[in-house]
Amino acid sequence: MICWSCERATSAGGECAACGAIQPPDAKADYFAVFGVARRYDVDFADLEARYREQSRKLHPDRFAKADPRARRASLQRSVQLNEAWRTLKDPFKRAEYLLSLSGVTLAKEVPPALLMETLELREELAEARAAGDDGRVQTMARAMRTRVEAAMQAVASGLVSGDLPRVAGELIALRYYRRFMDEVALHDDTVAEAAPPSAEMRGP
Amino acid sequence: MPVEALFEISEPGQSRVKEACKGRAIGIDLGTTNSLVAAVQAGQPVCLRDAGTGDAILPSVVHYGGDGTVVVGADARDRLAPLDPHDTIASVKRFMGRGPGDAEATRRLTPYRFAPAAAGDPVVRFAVAGGARAVTPIEVSSEILKVLRARAEQELGGELGGAVITVPAYFDDGQRQATRDAGRLAGLEVLRLINEPTAAALAYGLDKGAEGTFAVFDLGGGTFDVSILKLEGGVFEVKSTGGDSALGGDDFDRAIAHHLLQKLGLPDDAGGDARLARRALDAARAVKEALTTAERADATLVTGTNGSPHTSTVTLTRAEMEALVQPVLDRCATPVRRALKDAGLEAAALSGVILVGGATRMPLVQRFVGGLFGRAPLADIDPDQVVALGAAVQADILAGDGVRDDVLLLDVVPLSLGLETMGGVVEKLVPRNSTIPCGATQTFTTYADKQTGFDLHVVQGEREMVAECRSLARFKLTGVPPMPAGMARLEVTFLVDADGLLHVSAREDTTGKETSIQVKPSYGLTDEEVERMLLDSFAHAEDDVKARLLTEQRVEAERIASAARAAMADSPELLTDADKSAIAAAMAKLDQVKVGTDHGAIRAAIAELDVASKDFAGRRMNRALESGLRGRGLAEVEAKVSETESKQDLETRMSGAGHGHPHSGHTHR
Repeated sequence: MICWSCERATSAGGECAACGAIQPPDAKADYFAVFGVARRYDVDFADLEARYREQSRKLHPDRFAKADPRARRASLQRSVQLNEAWRTLKDPFKRAEYLLSLSGVTLAKEVPPALLMETLELREELAEARAAGDDGRVQTMARAMRTRVEAAMQAVASGLVSGDLPRVAGELIALRYYRRFMDEVALHDDTVAEAAPPSAEMRGP
Repeated sequence: MPVEALFEISEPGQSRVKEACKGRAIGIDLGTTNSLVAAVQAGQPVCLRDAGTGDAILPSVVHYGGDGTVVVGADARDRLAPLDPHDTIASVKRFMGRGPGDAEATRRLTPYRFAPAAAGDPVVRFAVAGGARAVTPIEVSSEILKVLRARAEQELGGELGGAVITVPAYFDDGQRQATRDAGRLAGLEVLRLINEPTAAALAYGLDKGAEGTFAVFDLGGGTFDVSILKLEGGVFEVKSTGGDSALGGDDFDRAIAHHLLQKLGLPDDAGGDARLARRALDAARAVKEALTTAERADATLVTGTNGSPHTSTVTLTRAEMEALVQPVLDRCATPVRRALKDAGLEAAALSGVILVGGATRMPLVQRFVGGLFGRAPLADIDPDQVVALGAAVQADILAGDGVRDDVLLLDVVPLSLGLETMGGVVEKLVPRNSTIPCGATQTFTTYADKQTGFDLHVVQGEREMVAECRSLARFKLTGVPPMPAGMARLEVTFLVDADGLLHVSAREDTTGKETSIQVKPSYGLTDEEVERMLLDSFAHAEDDVKARLLTEQRVEAERIASAARAAMADSPELLTDADKSAIAAAMAKLDQVKVGTDHGAIRAAIAELDVASKDFAGRRMNRALESGLRGRGLAEVEAKVSETESKQDLETRMSGAGHGHPHSGHTHR
């Protein structure tokens, strides 16, 4: 492509080598490329975060508040891409899903019937415990689910390293259901906390 | 839109040089109770003081006299409010972006009189000036901003280089739009809206050189925010935010006022007596403030009728007062817990808790925060000034004349943004706490055979059902050819810009039919309304306004005509003979009215050119899309980003032409 500023040849997703002007994003770049890191599951989180800060400092629209409109547009587009990349890669679950999609594997729409049955039962049990106001039982179920989530994430991590993508896909589908279960636990925790405001303890006898 | 599209894909060459920044940029804390203005001077942010009184704080109280005078500030609060409660608006911020049906406008204990709402009128209006005028919250807020603007112009010497206005982090899109409109109406170039806790963290962090992860607990007169931020190497990254835009010191006052009235054997809604309501709320505020230091204080309240005034006294201990406000304060706990959870943190991992807002002066609030976070909050900060100071720093950065080019704010969307789908269920496109700017694209399909249109309903909130979320905008995409259910593919793109404002566009894939809007909730103002209000306002001589409108329309006409010429030269093969003659006729008309003095006529001619070039622009847009702009989801987002951004360019550029902002510069109305 041609640099909008100096009209010399340049490439998207960076700065013009000749004049330094910010260029629009490279729509074909994957999120790892956006950060300039290798495409792998076990990223160095601290390094990724430092890169995010550095890139933000360079690309954010605030940096271009008084610049040429085309520079401002490029800055906004690049920032949108950077923020989306960061949101995806910083979360291990989303990172795994994304890696899988890059390998051309899409998660099946059909859920294995056994998984569906099991999670439905678990959700029902959770709903019953909540309806009964049995916080203890909810917390026990939550602990069990957390263990499952951890195990599944472990399996995802090793599957991505060894290249066992069907396995990863299976675990990710299950994880979606597990996450929904944990969302409901969070909802429950909020409700319980709201019913017993912290000031009740703080005020003392 | 078509002319915008023309412009959008015209070849570079005609660069639009921004006018040089004319003066200093300011930061404004537009608070529920008090407002302040600050600017960076000699590298340090300072609050600007009123030349007469020497006060930095301007009470956010506006009085509308029967003779057309408007009084803002301490005089309105202390002298006029008790006399003329109906005509004196305090805490207007709580009504920003709110409708007549909202809780705020339907309270029983209220000193205000509301103008009767027309059916479907989405805006609250106060009946003021003895019932002679009806003013919106936007207009009331703009009166406060005008006073601050005049103060800044006087102190800084001349025209301003724009303003950053702060809003509660938990303000929804409607409330943000309303605030921006109030700024425009006050003749300010609004460079940016920033969140109050973020502004506070910026001022605090720079002042103390702090690094680490901090919580900002901001309890003001009318709103509560909590934000978790990571400060590192000059980057202020908001991790999460939460709050309640209808929770603050005013609610403490109301709880105490109910109690005072009850103690005196009076109805707790003051029996609809506006003066008594105003006095009860004022007495409650006074006793609350006295109890910040004293253990026991008297609330005095003039009751009885005009004929037989009678002063009553109620003694309150601090413990009694605290028991009255505790239930209100307890409502802060859930947002705090949720913000910590969204940030993925335990309270113990924080480096400190920063207190902001006048209500955090109360010992009760400080104890409460201490209990919630398991640590004493930081106390080395002025909770009244810190937000304005942070806004001034950001204004200085945006105006481009700052020395702090190492500093960057990364803020988030406070509430999820989504669309209504079948059965009134919300499909979230942008989850809360997404860092801005951000975008999302989602594809929807038809659910009925031969469906020829889509109704898009944009909502904001965390609940799953539309009815429980805030409705931001509705628009339609029509003209979809009849197809079996599920065949049409509607691609909807959300873009949240660096101000946190939402832009939505939609595109039907099989036909390429497009529509887009900046979400302009019914709570905001139309350009025509802003124009009318500017004409009405006392601060602007009518001729000035007309001259400015004229200049801006001429600049706009020039820009549009040259964009059209460039596009025609660039792709003559896409022009039909009919296009050519229609565009030529429209351009001739525009040339003719451009030299006249009727800005309305110029605008109409611009609109005509817009219509005449519509088909041509559409073909150019399609070709541009076909030749590679279409990629995966993100590429689509970016194409939308470009459109939106080109509108924003226009806005900012045009506001440089004068000191006001009479209309947004969109050519398509």
